[in-house]
Amino acid sequence: MDILSPTSLDEVRDIIRNCLSDETSLSLRGAGTKSSLGNPVVADAQMQLSGMSGIITYEPEELILVARAGTELTEIEALLEAHNQMLSFEPFHPEILYGGTSSGTIGGMVGAGLSGPRRIASGGVRDYLLGFNAVSGRGDIFQSGSRVMKNVTGYDLSKLMAGSFGTLAIMDEITIKVLPAPETSVSLVVSCSDLASAQAACSQAFASAHEPTAACILPRDIAANVNLGGDAFAAIIRLEGVEVSVANRLTEMQNLLGPIGELHSLTQELSANLWRQVRDAAFFNETHEQIWKLSVAPTACVGIVNKIKTSIDASYFMDWAGGLIWLAGAGERLGADIRDVMASNGGGHATLMRASDDRRQNISVFQPQAPALMSLHTRIRRAFDPKQLLNPGRMGA
Amino acid sequence: MSVPAADQDILARRSEIAKGLKSIIPNHLVIDDDSSMRAFDADGLSAYRQMPLLVVLPETTEQVAAILKWCQTEQVKVVPRGAGTSLSGGATPLGDGILLGLGKFNKILEVDYDNRCVVAQPGVTNLGITHEVQDDGFYYAPDPSSQIACSIGGNVAENSGGVHCLKYGLTTNNLLGIEMVTMDGEILRIGGKHLDAGDLDVLGVMTGSEGLLGVVTEVTVRILRKPATQRAMLVGFDTVQEAGTAVSSVIAAGIIPAGMEMMDGPAINAAEDFAAAGYPRDADALLIIELDGPEVEVDALLERVEAIMKSEGATSIRVSTSEEERNQFWAGRKSAFPAVGRISPDYLCMDGTIPRKALPEMLTRMAGMSQKYGLRVANVFHAGDGNLHPLILFDANAPGEWERAEAFGADILRNCVALGGVLTGEHGVGIEKRDLMGEMFSEDDLKQQQRVKCAFDPDHLLNPGKVFPVLHRCAELGRLHVHKGQMPHPELPRF
Ligand SMILES: Cc1cc2nc3c(=O)[nH]c(=O)nc-3n(C[C@H](O)[C@H](O)[C@H](O)COP(=O)(O)OP(=O)(O)OC[C@H]3O[C@@H](n4cnc5c(N)ncnc54)[C@H](O)[C@@H]3O)c2cc1C
Repeated sequence: MDILSPTSLDEVRDIIRNCLSDETSLSLRGAGTKSSLGNPVVADAQMQLSGMSGIITYEPEELILVARAGTELTEIEALLEAHNQMLSFEPFHPEILYGGTSSGTIGGMVGAGLSGPRRIASGGVRDYLLGFNAVSGRGDIFQSGSRVMKNVTGYDLSKLMAGSFGTLAIMDEITIKVLPAPETSVSLVVSCSDLASAQAACSQAFASAHEPTAACILPRDIAANVNLGGDAFAAIIRLEGVEVSVANRLTEMQNLLGPIGELHSLTQELSANLWRQVRDAAFFNETHEQIWKLSVAPTACVGIVNKIKTSIDASYFMDWAGGLIWLAGAGERLGADIRDVMASNGGGHATLMRASDDRRQNISVFQPQAPALMSLHTRIRRAFDPKQLLNPGRMGA
Repeated sequence: MSVPAADQDILARRSEIAKGLKSIIPNHLVIDDDSSMRAFDADGLSAYRQMPLLVVLPETTEQVAAILKWCQTEQVKVVPRGAGTSLSGGATPLGDGILLGLGKFNKILEVDYDNRCVVAQPGVTNLGITHEVQDDGFYYAPDPSSQIACSIGGNVAENSGGVHCLKYGLTTNNLLGIEMVTMDGEILRIGGKHLDAGDLDVLGVMTGSEGLLGVVTEVTVRILRKPATQRAMLVGFDTVQEAGTAVSSVIAAGIIPAGMEMMDGPAINAAEDFAAAGYPRDADALLIIELDGPEVEVDALLERVEAIMKSEGATSIRVSTSEEERNQFWAGRKSAFPAVGRISPDYLCMDGTIPRKALPEMLTRMAGMSQKYGLRVANVFHAGDGNLHPLILFDANAPGEWERAEAFGADILRNCVALGGVLTGEHGVGIEKRDLMGEMFSEDDLKQQQRVKCAFDPDHLLNPGKVFPVLHRCAELGRLHVHKGQMPHPELPRF
């Protein structure tokens, strides 16, 4: 297979124009870390985007960073850390789930749109992508958005790009809003007798004025494995910010959640480590045949998981106060069962995050949409890529 | 700015169209007498008035779907309208289009504290959502100054912000789901109580689409617990330059206040005359900085911010010590529009955003333009995020002043773009900034946006004439020009 490695947007445009005339489809590759996420792609050639890399502008006082799509995520994170800033949405790092040593590129991060624990408190990748330029599947260079915080000029195409898995356009310059990193971070572990009370602890935490920035739920087995709880479910609440404030809110949170279960707090280091594990789904391992991610209403997670567990041997944990269920299991029926149970428990969407090519061949990796919405999605895709040249089939039709 | 010429065929079919609509929705929901329609002839950009062809006021999603489908079949244009407070002419009627008012969609459908969200119909006011949940200690964060009046559906369409969006985000960051109807009458549900919708983020592109992509018939929004404490600080400076630098220094110190607003000399004095908020009249720039959160945090941050202000040369600093005083600090800022309305017969409110660091340069340029056009300008800014609201003062009855004001406004926005900013930070493009879109976007950029429009509304029937300076037919936009054989980069492999 031909591998094309453009270094500029003009080159990308020329390649796409040639592809249009030859009807040559392309798979797009940043660092390739998430190439087994999504429906399997069959393409005539590959476009390698790591040649379009480098940080173009970083202005800490303006809270913006502009980087080329092929820039390694870790390079960006290191630069921000040196200035006490961060990508607030805690992007997922793929090494643990998919192997390899790279954390991927910023283009891949935007394309996959996978946000971590802070998503529930302050937004995801979609909320921080201020603008970009790109080449569409029509072979046109276009840009959208801007480098300022607040902008409603024209349609917000950044939202469409985030999470589109390379099926709309090939991005070059990406502008991201960054935020100051919190001065301190601690976590409070609440040991709970069952899943329902663990979820209730999370909901109560977020309904309080104590501003948690993350809340996850670990079932007994995982909690025990990471030494977080005798024989109990662990609801873990993270508090961040100015030191006096964190100390104060920790006390308040302890008063609030004490009645639910036994409490203990994690130091900064243990806390940081735990939230990285939650972010990257590090509690699962290679023995799990399929790994799923379900986005649901936080309170619905209890009914969904309890129902699934009655018939399926699955391992799970939750982030986003219960709103994000990570679930590992096996078998041909697993995906259909998950989607059925979810549909009868308030709805949401389920994505097959990891499975063999074979398995992904036979089930829709992304949640099937209602027919009218599905055809709208298809029309939007064609508006960018009428010949389906870009990552054909990876997401949507 | 011109409103597109009305289609004479449609005008001639007016009574037939009214009859057709009455056959699909109850008669009393179709308004066709001039005196009742008068109430809908303009939005907040009231310099533009236009009687719509007809007004329809549906009560259910099914009725909205039936109306849109019928209009699609009959090729009749539709302009959605919430409360009509748009400042960019988003809801300005079309003479050959029906105005679809969502005022009857005024119910809160569900409050869910455990999942921290409210499900509401689009005609509910922004403040109506907060009112519903405030007794239980919650609120809806985006707070446009028009929040008593504007509708949540209009907020979605405009992606509205407010003084607190520095910390809490715009509408798009607080919206979880919608039910919407496309021009062909399809009812779609996107998102809900869960995060992200799976597949393409249609919710994201609908937000801020100014009524051009679909009609929103239900929203699910995130609500937040009210912060334990809120305190504000009033800081005076001798120059806007110093005030601008002080704003950057706060952000550079890692502090994101709940709000950080700036007013210039003319705005300070107009507001003080109007609201007696206790603003320092001798200052050339005033900052209002609000911090919220636990009391200890607010205290700690106020101390840090105060130190920054002193080192940046503040001439006066006051910190609110009671809720009453905090509200008083805000009273001047919040009444800036009516206050300016008192010192000038008319004013035009602009809404560009610039990189924060360009603020001093922008203000210098603005002073020059004020001289050039012979019109006064008062400035209020969402300084934390670089969003400017210059208020251009003029007298519509004085010959030529309205034209000069419009030209001055356009010049300000051109300068915003030239300094690395954008045409609109929160008010939308509408008809007001439509013809300036080329300042910020290339022809290809605009065509790509219009292709998205075509995916939703291929006949350009929903709110046409807004946002885009030139309307291309979708068939033309869809055509592919394949540049076969052109090889500007022969070094690249061919297949
Ligand atoms: C005094 C004043 C102060 C203001 N302050 C602010 C501010 O601080 N921040 C800010 O962001 N804005 C502000 N605005 C602007 C305005 O209030 C907002 O844009 C608001 O969101 C408009 O809501 P509306 O219900 O009045 O919408 P309308 O004016 O009726 O409509 C606005 C646009 O939305 C479309 N639309 C309305 N409802 C729907 C629906 N259900 N489905 C699809 N499309 C729809 C219309 O077609 C139109 O394009 C202010 C306006 C005034 C008059």
